[in-house]
Amino acid sequence: MSSRTTPASPRALAPPEPPAGRSVRTRLRGVLPVLGSLQGYIGLVLVIAAGMLTKGQVFWNQQNLTNAVGAFASRGILAVGETLVILTAGIDLSVGSLLGIASMVSALLLVHQNMNIYEIVPLCMVVGALFGLANGAATALLRIQSFVVTLAMLNVVRGIDRMLSNNVSVGTQLINAQGQLTPRSAQFQVLGTPGHNILTGLPLPLLGRAGIYYPVLALIVVVVVFQLLLSKSKFGRHIYAVGGNETAARLSGVNTTYVKIAVFMLAGLLAGFAGPIDAAYSASADPLAGSSYELDAIAAVVIGGASLAGGRGSIVGTLVGSLILTLLDNVLGLNAISDNAQLIIKGLIVILAVVIQRPDFFRALGPSVRRLGRQIHTRTGDPPGTAANTSPQPQPATPPLEESR
Amino acid sequence: MGRQTSVNSPDNARGSSAPAVPGPGPGPGRVILAMNAITKTFPGVRALSGVDMTVRAGEVAAILGENGAGKSTLMNILAGVFPDYSGDIELDGVPVAIHSPKAAQHLGIAMIHQELNLVPDMSIVDNIFLGREPRTARGTIDRRAMDEQATRLLAEVGLALHPRRPVRQCRVAEQQLIEVAKALSVSLRLLVMDEPTSALADAEVRRLFTVIRRLAGQGVGIVYISHRLEELDEIADSVTVLRDGAYIGRRDMADTTRAELISMMVGRPLDELFPRGDSPPARGDEVIRVEDLDLAGDRREGRAALHGVHLVARAGEIVGLAGLMGAGRSETLEAIYGAFARRAVHGSVHLRGRRYRPRSPRHAIRNGIALVAEDRKAQSLVLTNSVRFNASLAALGRFMRWGTVSAARERAAVAGMVIDLRIKTPGLNAAVGNLSGGNQQKVVLAKCLLTEPSLILMDEPTRGIDVGAKAEIYQLMTELTRRGSAIVMVSSELPELLAMCDRIVVLCEGRVTAEFRRGEATQEAILDAAMDRQAVLGVEVAPALQAPARREVSDE
Repeated sequence: MSSRTTPASPRALAPPEPPAGRSVRTRLRGVLPVLGSLQGYIGLVLVIAAGMLTKGQVFWNQQNLTNAVGAFASRGILAVGETLVILTAGIDLSVGSLLGIASMVSALLLVHQNMNIYEIVPLCMVVGALFGLANGAATALLRIQSFVVTLAMLNVVRGIDRMLSNNVSVGTQLINAQGQLTPRSAQFQVLGTPGHNILTGLPLPLLGRAGIYYPVLALIVVVVVFQLLLSKSKFGRHIYAVGGNETAARLSGVNTTYVKIAVFMLAGLLAGFAGPIDAAYSASADPLAGSSYELDAIAAVVIGGASLAGGRGSIVGTLVGSLILTLLDNVLGLNAISDNAQLIIKGLIVILAVVIQRPDFFRALGPSVRRLGRQIHTRTGDPPGTAANTSPQPQPATPPLEESR
Repeated sequence: MGRQTSVNSPDNARGSSAPAVPGPGPGPGRVILAMNAITKTFPGVRALSGVDMTVRAGEVAAILGENGAGKSTLMNILAGVFPDYSGDIELDGVPVAIHSPKAAQHLGIAMIHQELNLVPDMSIVDNIFLGREPRTARGTIDRRAMDEQATRLLAEVGLALHPRRPVRQCRVAEQQLIEVAKALSVSLRLLVMDEPTSALADAEVRRLFTVIRRLAGQGVGIVYISHRLEELDEIADSVTVLRDGAYIGRRDMADTTRAELISMMVGRPLDELFPRGDSPPARGDEVIRVEDLDLAGDRREGRAALHGVHLVARAGEIVGLAGLMGAGRSETLEAIYGAFARRAVHGSVHLRGRRYRPRSPRHAIRNGIALVAEDRKAQSLVLTNSVRFNASLAALGRFMRWGTVSAARERAAVAGMVIDLRIKTPGLNAAVGNLSGGNQQKVVLAKCLLTEPSLILMDEPTRGIDVGAKAEIYQLMTELTRRGSAIVMVSSELPELLAMCDRIVVLCEGRVTAEFRRGEATQEAILDAAMDRQAVLGVEVAPALQAPARREVSDE
């Protein structure tokens, strides 16, 4: 009788683990889902291994890696915003254009208004957020599919960008009468020109006194902030709920309109934040800057394990996806593989990434691999048995009959 | 029936042809299906262990069991949904391996899932022949042949619909029968029906039963999965009981009692399904008073209109809303909950004596109203997310600390609910989609209760869940009223309403047609009131019922 009544929770009745080990394991289990899928990390290791095997020290040194990540940082930041939108089952195709206009605005403000970066960056973020607000309002209030709205916005913003610039790129390295960079322009370089680090002279761990390259720092900060937003805040929960089942979210009291507008605004805000980085990186704002960046961003999100159907994914996963694309770029470049071949390879990688991230992927491979997959699944997905470790009392499914004994 | 011939000519829209060669008519014919020692393991869970099942020609074999007992798993194996299982399946004495739905189809096994598998925007005829469209000599789709066969098949299941009508415009009961017609369009030996009546009103159940009996009479084996014991009395010839993935026993329906079946199914005698006594509860304060509630209907979203609905619920009271499908029962609850645009709703609502204007679900939750929606998968749960995520979703504000959701508080609260409601789950982080229906419903209830509501609106709270879970939910409802909540409950099961409710309000075509106090109501009186308007306003209401006008077309 007693064995019958509790079959649904066999793990729950497993002998309790020693308390010390339990808390560590419990904590670990709480963190693991955030980290995204194991497949992503395998991919990352493979790319790094490929780089080490073919180029060794040329690839694996701080300078090269910093450059590689720095070149991709603006797209990585876009991908973080894109993740938020995709989690709500939407898509934002306009982030590349938004980055373009933000980079143009930053260059124009520098050149014509001679502003400092503490004014330029927030203003660019405001510009991005306003366009994001327009995206969100059209999606949530007018109920147009986000694909259509942002496709239109992609063109509108690009048009404005080109009008602002008269189709000429605007350089950000301004030379004064003495033949040197103006102070404001020199300051602007810090935002992304390779070789200009910030926080130099501080005794930083790992990095020493060389300081840190701003785009890399910016990417890390954005990832940390938004991952915390997703996993710790009410708003983050609501994002997952809207993407997972919008009706259920609405009937559970989630303001779905607000959530949808907010994610588009945040995506715009981050695009605005990434714009000056891109302008500083290429030392000029090109009217075509950021074209097709949205596709890289979406690719990073997808490789990071998010589902375009919404409700599944994480920022850290997206970071892994971004790193895979970045390092792949770098490795292929170092090996002098032509741009055209690079495009083909990157395209195929996206498909491969989606295929291997299917939940039933391991099952399809056969019994031995299936066992491995099951272990991974229980570790990275929602791990069963957590309640047994965390709930204050032993497991629920036990009928009163047993409790009274 | 005549399977050699019908395999060769799948276009043959059987039915009126001669009955099965061996074992004509009902009663114990030859064994069509024998499943022996079927075992199926999912990662971490043994869903079935050594289950046996036999079905004879012309027999309606019921499978009975609580949620999670493995009924659907067993039938999904039969239908080829789960390709890897162990055990033997014999069909007409021939061992077969069913590793894909296609293989099952070739063997003449059709399954009608609980969630219907029709494409809503395609016509009835296109759905019936989906993937098997007959061709003309020129290679184009033979529309005329399809229409003719479809009309014949529809007639066979007792439907007088035009075959070109889009499925979206058909009612759930009709869609169910369309699925049956679809199953009939291929040579059919075995028809599996998973909870076919869970979404049907009583009259519609009758119609389905007639069709089932006719099919059985033609020698088709029917496997019938249901939770409703009273139905089995009526339709089943034999019952196979499963519990926790194990085979418990098989009984002929004639030789068993309901009590025996329940104890086999639950493993213990069920003391009392409905815990409410007959004594009227102490009359509390009015929690909600709804007067002249009007709602604009919306045909496109399938939303019924309401006309001047009156409803009062007091603390400690359960008020039932009865009526046929489309009478506006769910709409009444959702209008109070604020699920509709504000301009569509008119009327006056008083909540705990104060005027209340339904604004949004969020607003309702803040004011102590909770809704257990009709369709838990579509309206209540984020299936891919965890029990914890779902249960706490509506009440996240209560777990905040320093601007973040405190995982510890949240976990404690949800774990408490899991224990209180006896939700069977491998853990708080298990995906809700992997739980059985009854446990999913309990998660929905947990979500509502965590918002600490004083008024709980329940739309079909026990639909599609087993007797054990039902009893627990009834118990919970009683307990909630004892603590002073008011409950307004919609149900299609009249015995449930009669046993649980202090008052029953009957709706018909968006109007209140009767109100009964506890003890005054009978099933007949409620049904009379529920059909009232149709009789009186037959002509005026007809277009809304989408009936006669279309029927004429289909009679051509």
